[in-house]
Amino acid sequence: MTALQTSSARLMAMVFYVPRACLPAKRRRILAIPIGAALLFGALAHAVRGGRAEAFADVADAGLFGLVLPLGTLIIGDAVLGAEVRSGALPFTWLSPVRLWEIIVARWLGGWLISLCTLVPACTAAALIAGVPEAMAAITLAVAAGSAALIATFVLIGSTTRRAAVWSLGAVLLGERLLGAAIAGVAGVSPSWVARSVYGSYGPAAEALERAGIPSGGAAVGRLVVLTTVALALATWRLGSLRLTGSRD
Amino acid sequence: MDRDVISDSSVVATDPAFVADATVTVGDVSVWFGQKVALSEVSCSFGPGVTGLLGPNGAGKTTLMRAVCGLLPVNQGDVRVLGADPRTDRPVHLQLGLVPEEDAVPEALTARQLVRYTARLRNIDDEAAVTGALARVDLLDAADRAVGDFSKGMRQRAKIAAALVADPTVLVLDEPLNGADPVQRVSLISLFTSLGAEGRTVIVSSHVLHEVERLASRIIVVLNGRLAAAGGHRAIRDAMADRPRRVVVRADASRRLAAHLVGLDVVTGVSVEDDTVTISTSNAGALALALPGLSIEHGCGLREVRPLDESLEAVFRELIR
Repeated sequence: MTALQTSSARLMAMVFYVPRACLPAKRRRILAIPIGAALLFGALAHAVRGGRAEAFADVADAGLFGLVLPLGTLIIGDAVLGAEVRSGALPFTWLSPVRLWEIIVARWLGGWLISLCTLVPACTAAALIAGVPEAMAAITLAVAAGSAALIATFVLIGSTTRRAAVWSLGAVLLGERLLGAAIAGVAGVSPSWVARSVYGSYGPAAEALERAGIPSGGAAVGRLVVLTTVALALATWRLGSLRLTGSRD
Repeated sequence: MDRDVISDSSVVATDPAFVADATVTVGDVSVWFGQKVALSEVSCSFGPGVTGLLGPNGAGKTTLMRAVCGLLPVNQGDVRVLGADPRTDRPVHLQLGLVPEEDAVPEALTARQLVRYTARLRNIDDEAAVTGALARVDLLDAADRAVGDFSKGMRQRAKIAAALVADPTVLVLDEPLNGADPVQRVSLISLFTSLGAEGRTVIVSSHVLHEVERLASRIIVVLNGRLAAAGGHRAIRDAMADRPRRVVVRADASRRLAAHLVGLDVVTGVSVEDDTVTISTSNAGALALALPGLSIEHGCGLREVRPLDESLEAVFRELIR
C-alpha cells in the first residue's frame, strides 16, 4: 500500500466514523428540529403576500439562513469534535499516528456530509414546498457552501475550548445575528451572511438578500471556501495544543 | 531531575524509580491546571514488564498517564516514549496503546466497529487482528452489540481490545479493572501479566494495593502529584507495614490486656473503653505476632482485632512523611 493509499484509507475510516459514532440517537432527534423547521418555512412562504419567489426569498432570509442553517450546522459541528472532546472519547482518534490535519479534515468532511444529507435536502425541499422549483439549485448551492464554512467554524471552536457548544451558540447569536446584522465587516466573514449573498445572487427575485460590503455570486462562494480553509487550518493548529482531559476534569 | 540524570547509570542503579532498560521516561514533569498542581516534578521511568501506578483518587495517576500518552502537554519537564515525544511525534502512537479510565466510548458503535476503527487508524486492515483482539478480552460473543448497551466491565474490555489490536509496545491502562466482575478480574490480570511477560511495557494504575500487587512486580506510588515511593511490592508493603498505626482490639479482659500491652516495645499508646482497647503501635506486624500469645498467656479472651486507619489514603499519607 502506498503512503497515499494508507492516508486515504485512514481518512475514509475517520470520515465514516463521524455519522456512525458522533450522532447518537438523541442528537439525531435534535437535528430533526431544524430539518422539520426548514420544511415548515417552505410551507410558510404560501402565507406571505407577493409573488412566490419573493415570498420564498423572505422566508429563506429570516428562516433558512437566519435559523435553520446556523442552528442545524451547530448541532452537527459540535457533534463532530466538541462533543467528543467534552465526553473524553476523542483519544480513540487522537492517539493514533494520523496527522492532526487529517483528523480535522475528516471530522469536517464527515460533518459536511451529514449536512449534505440532511439540512441541504431539507432546504431544497423547502423551495419545492414553497412552489419555487427554480430556486432549488440556488438554495442548494448556498446552503451547501454555507454549511461547509459554518461546520468548519464549529470544528475550530471545538478544537479550542471544552465549552464548545456554548461558544458556538454565542458565535451564532452574538457574532452572526447581532454583530453581523449591524456591522458589514463582521457579516463579510460570517458564513450565514455570505451564504445569503450566494442565494441573493443566484436565486429568483432574491436581490434583497445581497448586501453592500459582502461579495456576491462566485466571489461569495469563493469567500466561503476561504473561510472554510482558514477555519480548518486554525483548528489543526489549536488541536495541537488542546489538553485532552477527561469528562470529569 | 533532568534527562541527563535519568540516563546516568548510577542513578538508575540506585533509585528504584528508574529502570535500566527504559522505554518510557518521565523527567522532572510538572502539570498544572490553573492554580491546581496535578503533577509536581515527577521523575521516573518504565521498562518491559508490568509496572503498577498506585495512589488514591486524585493523586495524579491519570494526569501522569495522559502525559505519557501525549494527551496533555506538560508545563515543565520532558516525557519520552521509545525516544520520541508522544505529544508531537505522532508516529510513536503506533507503538502506544491507552485504555482510558473514562467511561466515554462512542456508544453507537459496536465493539467490533470500535476495534476496527482503531485498527484502521493504525494502518491495520486485517479482520483477523480485530477478531483476535476481541477474543483476547473474551468479548467475541458480544462483539456486534452497541458499546452503549454494555456494562462498565464490558466497556473496559472493549477499550482494552481497541488498545491491543495494534499490538503496541507500550500499553497504558488507567484503572482497567474498574467495573469488572471477579471472574473478569482474574482473566484480565492474567492477560496483563502475560502482556508484560511478552516484553511489553505495561503501565497499570489502581488505587487498590492488593490489585496492583497481583499485577505488577514493580510499583510506583503517586500522592498529591508527587512520586511518593517506588520499588518492588514487598518493599512498598514493608514501608506501609512499618508505619505507626492504630489497632482496635475487643477482649473479655480488656483492662488486663491493656496493662500487659503497655510493656511491649512496639506499643506507643493504649486507651480502654468498655471491652475495647485502642492501641497505637510503631510496628503493626510485630504487634500482630505478639498479641495472640499475650492474650493466651494472661487469659484475656480476644474477640476482635482490626486496624483503625487502614484507608489507603492514610497509608499513603504515612508513606510520604
